[in-house]
Amino acid sequence: MRRRVAITGMGVVSPLGNSVDALRDALLAGRSGVGPITVFDPASLPTRIAAEVKWDGPILRDRKITFALEAARQAMEAAGRPRGEGGLSLGIGLELFSMDDLVAMQRPGFAMPPSRRERLGFLQTPSDLCVHMIARRHDLTRPPLTHVSACAAGTDAIGHALRLVASGRRDWMLAGGADSMINPFGVGGFCRIGATSTANDEPSRASRPFDRGRTGFVLGEGAAMLVLEPLETATNVLAEIAGYGNSFDAHGISEPHPEGRGAWQAMARALADAGLTPADVDCINAHGTSTTKNDPVETLAIKRLLGDRAKRVPVCATKSMIGHLISAAGAVEAVAAVACMRAGRVHPTINLDQPDPACDLDYVPHVARDHEQRVVLSNSFGFGGQNASIVLKHA
Amino acid sequence: MSPDSLAVTGLGAVTGYCDPVPFLRVRKQRKFMGVQDDLAVVAAGRAIESAGLPRALGQRAGLYMAVGYIPFERIDMDELLKGSVDERGAFSMARFSTVGYESVNPLLTFRCLSNMPAYHVSANFDVQGPYVVTYPGAGQFYLALEEACAALKAGTIDVALVAGVAHQKNFLVQHHFARLDPPADRIEDAAACLVLERAPDRPARAHLRELAIAYEPHNPFEETTAPRETGADPAMGPASLAVALCGAKGTLRHELVARDGIRASSTWELA
Repeated sequence: MRRRVAITGMGVVSPLGNSVDALRDALLAGRSGVGPITVFDPASLPTRIAAEVKWDGPILRDRKITFALEAARQAMEAAGRPRGEGGLSLGIGLELFSMDDLVAMQRPGFAMPPSRRERLGFLQTPSDLCVHMIARRHDLTRPPLTHVSACAAGTDAIGHALRLVASGRRDWMLAGGADSMINPFGVGGFCRIGATSTANDEPSRASRPFDRGRTGFVLGEGAAMLVLEPLETATNVLAEIAGYGNSFDAHGISEPHPEGRGAWQAMARALADAGLTPADVDCINAHGTSTTKNDPVETLAIKRLLGDRAKRVPVCATKSMIGHLISAAGAVEAVAAVACMRAGRVHPTINLDQPDPACDLDYVPHVARDHEQRVVLSNSFGFGGQNASIVLKHA
Repeated sequence: MSPDSLAVTGLGAVTGYCDPVPFLRVRKQRKFMGVQDDLAVVAAGRAIESAGLPRALGQRAGLYMAVGYIPFERIDMDELLKGSVDERGAFSMARFSTVGYESVNPLLTFRCLSNMPAYHVSANFDVQGPYVVTYPGAGQFYLALEEACAALKAGTIDVALVAGVAHQKNFLVQHHFARLDPPADRIEDAAACLVLERAPDRPARAHLRELAIAYEPHNPFEETTAPRETGADPAMGPASLAVALCGAKGTLRHELVARDGIRASSTWELA
């Protein structure tokens, strides 16, 4: 017997604020969180802009772990302590080298730091440590999952948690994503493969999903966590998470299937899992990366899914305002979707001045819109052809 | 979970160097592949062949994979560093941003990302179904296996590839294990894959009789324990159980106490 599953707590650290309310308000106001990189000096790198988290608190050596811990704290505080034994499902970005550490290792007489804490943080902090820190802090006693399906990881983490709670294999789950690649190695790596926008002179206009003038994505950072509990016993129901689907493109390594086959499969499977049909969809929070390859293919996949209704269903791109949070993207966008659904509004896709002719849906350009939503699809499609979608329902 | 209606119909394993070319659908993809990708494709290919399945598995097949720590070779690091330090030998962002980052082979990104072994398996064997890609230890292999069993029992899929992949003999992974207390005394490059099916009409190679997974949280910054496995070799990382199955006869009882706090066990009967 499948259990219905509720979202009972949410927490977020994002380029547009470090609470759910702050993020929602900024998104609905159409504000951009993109600016010049300040967390390190990008010098002459082709990309010198990003959507950074504004963080005044103490920071661990690894920003993504700091963000994940804070998002988990907020989500657990909002949910209260659910009944039974909880588990963790986290999509997390990979460890990247600290260039200073790497250089230090080359010096004659170099010795590793003496304390375990310093040693583990030296050169890079293994991402899997984050799940154990969260599990310990919140007394999560069921085995933690670490998802590494690239840009789909945050959505996969939430979807997998849904399956575990719905099937009764876990009492409740804390699920989400965390990432920060705004460091020399991360930004340099994306520059090297030409993936990021180089519109350094107009940071707030650089991320422009579905626009004819888009030139690549803008890197963001942050974390979001959600508490999932059986709907039947939940007391603080923010929304229902009703379905999850994922798929492989089984196609190109860096380009999506030209007909959007995998993206369509993920959305169709999520709806089927929820017991819904495309006619039930009121809004789609798109993957919408602002890359030349993703946006038209996602548009094709949505058209295939929705058929005649495709141009009447609002499709919004959170990344137009907060950039691409990679492994955290799906989790932060899920929080955004729930918060906007509860407000009865759809946030805009900013910077959509001249739509690409191949992108001809209603992307809610520039300004938020009043729109009651019962069912929202949220998409995340990863580099390497991993596609994930979740279905969120108004409680 | 009671997994006793599930059958292992295919097994494939590889340790050390391997050549994935015989399994590649599109040979030009070879340039994107690192060691972990080679290992994953060869293990999956051998498992699919041993199950007698076609090479294109389609929408009703899922992939459940645990991937080891992200690999990086010293030679790639040295190349990057050469273009990133100033005359005093200190890291220079000015140098990195003009010379260093350009010295990195752009293909390196593809060759080290943890989701790439899953990509290469999906692309070469046309796996379009659901997936779970977890990271980085033997405990996570058990969680991938748990999800594969659940998907088969729910009827979401007909075939599950359950794989463990670990490219460990490289600069970054060796560095990681060296800084732990106690360090790993031996690590290997390895991958293995099981083909799991629900009541297949082909002969079963093995049956999964029992599966249990538990967790004991701890603070990894203050306490680490050496992994302990009975029935498998912990040097194989997340591939350990699947590698052991490929060489087992009779009954295999596997018990794991992982470094990350996951405690798991399983019992397999081999045909």
